[in-house]
Amino acid sequence: MSAPTYQEMILRLERFWADYGCVIQQPYHTEVGAGTFNPATFLRCLGPEPWKAAYVEPSLRPSDGRYGENPYRFQQFWQYQVVLKPAPDDVLDVYFASLEALGIDPVDHDVRLVEDDWEGPTLGAWGLGWEVWIDGLEVTQFTYFQQLGGLDLDLITAEIVYGTERLAMYLQNRTSAFDLEWAPGVTWGDVYRENERQWSVYNFEEADVTLLTRRFEEDERECERLLEKGLPVPAYDLVLKCSHTFNLLDSRGAISVTERASYIGRVRALARRVALAYLEDRAVAPV
Amino acid sequence: MPSLLFEIGCEELPAVVCETAAEQLPDLVRAHVGDGELNVLVGPRRIAFVLHDVAEREEDRVERRRGPSEQIAFDPGGHPTQAAEGFARSNGLAAGELERAEGFVWATKRIEGRPTAEVLPDALAALVRGLAFPKTMRWDGSGLRFPRPIRWLCAKLDETTIPVALEGVRVGGSSSGHRFTSHEVEIRSAGDYAEALRNAGVEPDQEVRRAEILRALEDVGEWSDPRGVLAEVVHLVERPFVLTGRYDERFLELPLRVIETVMQSHQRYFPLGPGRFAFVANGGDPDLIVRGNENVLSGRLDDAAFSYARDVELGIEGMAGRLDSVRFHARAGTFADKAERLRALCELLGGGEPSREAARLAKADQVSTMVHEFAELEGFMGGVYARQAGIPEAVAAAIEEHYLPDAAGGPLPRTAAGRVVSAADKIDNLTVAFALGERPTGSRDPYGLRRAAIGLCRLAVEGGLEIELPRLVQQALTQLAAQSAEVTDDPSDVTGFVLERLEGLLDVPVEFVRAARAASVEELGAVARLARTLATEVEDESFARAYTAYDRANRLAGKADGAAPALDPKLATDAAELALVETLGAVAPRIEAAVAERAFTKALAAASEFGPPVDRFFDEVLVMAEDEAVRANRLRLLLDVRDAVGLLGDLSQIPR
Repeated sequence: MSAPTYQEMILRLERFWADYGCVIQQPYHTEVGAGTFNPATFLRCLGPEPWKAAYVEPSLRPSDGRYGENPYRFQQFWQYQVVLKPAPDDVLDVYFASLEALGIDPVDHDVRLVEDDWEGPTLGAWGLGWEVWIDGLEVTQFTYFQQLGGLDLDLITAEIVYGTERLAMYLQNRTSAFDLEWAPGVTWGDVYRENERQWSVYNFEEADVTLLTRRFEEDERECERLLEKGLPVPAYDLVLKCSHTFNLLDSRGAISVTERASYIGRVRALARRVALAYLEDRAVAPV
Repeated sequence: MPSLLFEIGCEELPAVVCETAAEQLPDLVRAHVGDGELNVLVGPRRIAFVLHDVAEREEDRVERRRGPSEQIAFDPGGHPTQAAEGFARSNGLAAGELERAEGFVWATKRIEGRPTAEVLPDALAALVRGLAFPKTMRWDGSGLRFPRPIRWLCAKLDETTIPVALEGVRVGGSSSGHRFTSHEVEIRSAGDYAEALRNAGVEPDQEVRRAEILRALEDVGEWSDPRGVLAEVVHLVERPFVLTGRYDERFLELPLRVIETVMQSHQRYFPLGPGRFAFVANGGDPDLIVRGNENVLSGRLDDAAFSYARDVELGIEGMAGRLDSVRFHARAGTFADKAERLRALCELLGGGEPSREAARLAKADQVSTMVHEFAELEGFMGGVYARQAGIPEAVAAAIEEHYLPDAAGGPLPRTAAGRVVSAADKIDNLTVAFALGERPTGSRDPYGLRRAAIGLCRLAVEGGLEIELPRLVQQALTQLAAQSAEVTDDPSDVTGFVLERLEGLLDVPVEFVRAARAASVEELGAVARLARTLATEVEDESFARAYTAYDRANRLAGKADGAAPALDPKLATDAAELALVETLGAVAPRIEAAVAERAFTKALAAASEFGPPVDRFFDEVLVMAEDEAVRANRLRLLLDVRDAVGLLGDLSQIPR
């Protein structure tokens, strides 16, 4: 099998997980730091109902931007997220089969599961699992969720997060993400390099701290208001907005170490209330 | 006698889990299964043991149960009542077989030991539940918790498969071989286990894996393992293959230690000298694997080179200029504040200009990208950036070394300025933590203050640095308060906290250190020398005399009430009393002077002069005289004698 283009790789993942029985969803419309924040993971992995979903997620990490000058660090990259709830006993075998679908035969490679304890402090979430290495390159994070919103879970979800750029670099034998062939004749750099430069300027230099500080507080209040109205799903979007605003403030260097802990605590408190309200809500009208 | 194999098959376990399991198994096996020759085998996908010479049955045992009282068990005619019948029946006996003793009836049963094969299903399940780990997880609805999911259990007593009673897990007589090159492996007999796995691509014995890795590393060249990743690597692979790769020579512009840190911290590679590295794989096509790992390392080094170039561009002065925006501690200001305190401490420690300049720049690398990414390079990077900026070598070396000693028995800073800045940094860390109410408690010591205290002791004892703690702590505290830190506690107990560390550090029995800690000297190195002097002189005649004088005076007067506040020589009447007053007047100043100049042997010789007069005093003088004033004065005299000798420490700590 010849090396797939970046988009072909994603299409193969979509096909593989659709065939497995996942609901193929689309990226969320609100900025998130990782696919875990998408309600298709955070909300759906609460409660006792089984759920299988897969989707691409643009992940925004403002402080990881490098003005498009570093071929490994970006303020926006693309995860391919899979959640299987409950985790099937053979979940690792299924995952390895997905690598084969991409043209990676584990027999030919050094495929390793390296301990990784995952924690998402703003979501009150943690789990145990691994980084998956292929010939020394971390291409996937694999996690068995234990808590979301600070709540023990009814069913344990297996979360599989492919780092699509890393995986494609491996498949196409490239040492720079900018050189990845996205579609025939078009590189990842063609599509996103200038994007990286401009967003890095915004994230590090131009984002308006006064406005963001105010926005955080407004969104926090709005989230609380919606919770009082019994609307946990829209309230959750405001958790996401607060989380992203916090990340922007952080990349602007506007948050001291002490304030940092307090901001994280505020977002986590909202996430917990949303989780509780969502669970209560779906107890009345099961999803 | 049969052999028992038990294997807990898991998804990939962290290396530290393999090690903790291996530590716990001997005790757990003894408790749940029994004695025998035990062979523990752990690796990423299995925690296993083979126990040879297992007993075939449990031992028989006698069980004696107490029943109702005799009055209830027998009617007045001596016949068993219904209560006795019922008790006998419930124990499988006839009423006539019950014993009578101590006012009760008793059922004695001999219970035949069950065959081991019958006991094992529950015993092995209990063994699994008995393994304890700091971090565990759930993976399904079984309620089991383990560090990673358990996927199978394989138990064989010789050729018999033991159905371990653990719900929700596949149980049987088969194991799994290498994850990708093999599948399920039938284990025919307990004794065949290791061989069966070896044929299925797995080396189950961690010691064999370790030896194989070491042998292969020896074969590929001058390998090193500066961060000690080997112990972990042994548990990252089921069958080790050592391979080597290269990286571009252009990266050799980076400091070698940066290259090694990139290799070891992320990738667990072993440096092989410039341009080469070795790594341990778990299988696969060597060409593909080497190419992949070379690309990964190249990417990592590129990233490091990018960060390094940014740091060099900013320069160490640029970094130092940003320290006022980085918090050292949430309630104790910024790193710029800390740098000011360090300068003052260096001055007070008698450090020269290089140490004061190093103090100003020591924390600059905290804002560097490299230290942000590799915290373990703090200090080292500061030294590199200082040299890049043309700062004198004495200053650069002091910046580089000021975290030393960073491990038990690790090296001290080589340069004088390095030792001064290192001591200043540790004193400041201790003072800040104590002043803010964050003393270490029990096993909680998040700032590594015990290690800092030991470091201070070593800087004094081995490094010859004079460290007079009370003054230094006071200095740091005054400055902290002036910098408007939220001081809540008096940190003067830092001195005691540090002195306590001397006990474990010096090569003399702790009693001598405890004695010396109570002396009038506070400088760390002097306390250590005094402890050693006491230990060396303990067999000497002059020590014996000083000790006896101290001990007799202390025993009588130490706990008595009513000593006069000051000695009044005019109240002394008896000849022996007058003689002791005279000795006190002559000897006490000499002890004090000798201790002040740290001439402890000389001080001890002076103190020994108290011997005969104190003995004579106790022979001839009645301390507890009728006259209250005389008695009070005599008690004071003894206390003054004790305190004069006590300038050399609390000698009562020393057992004689």
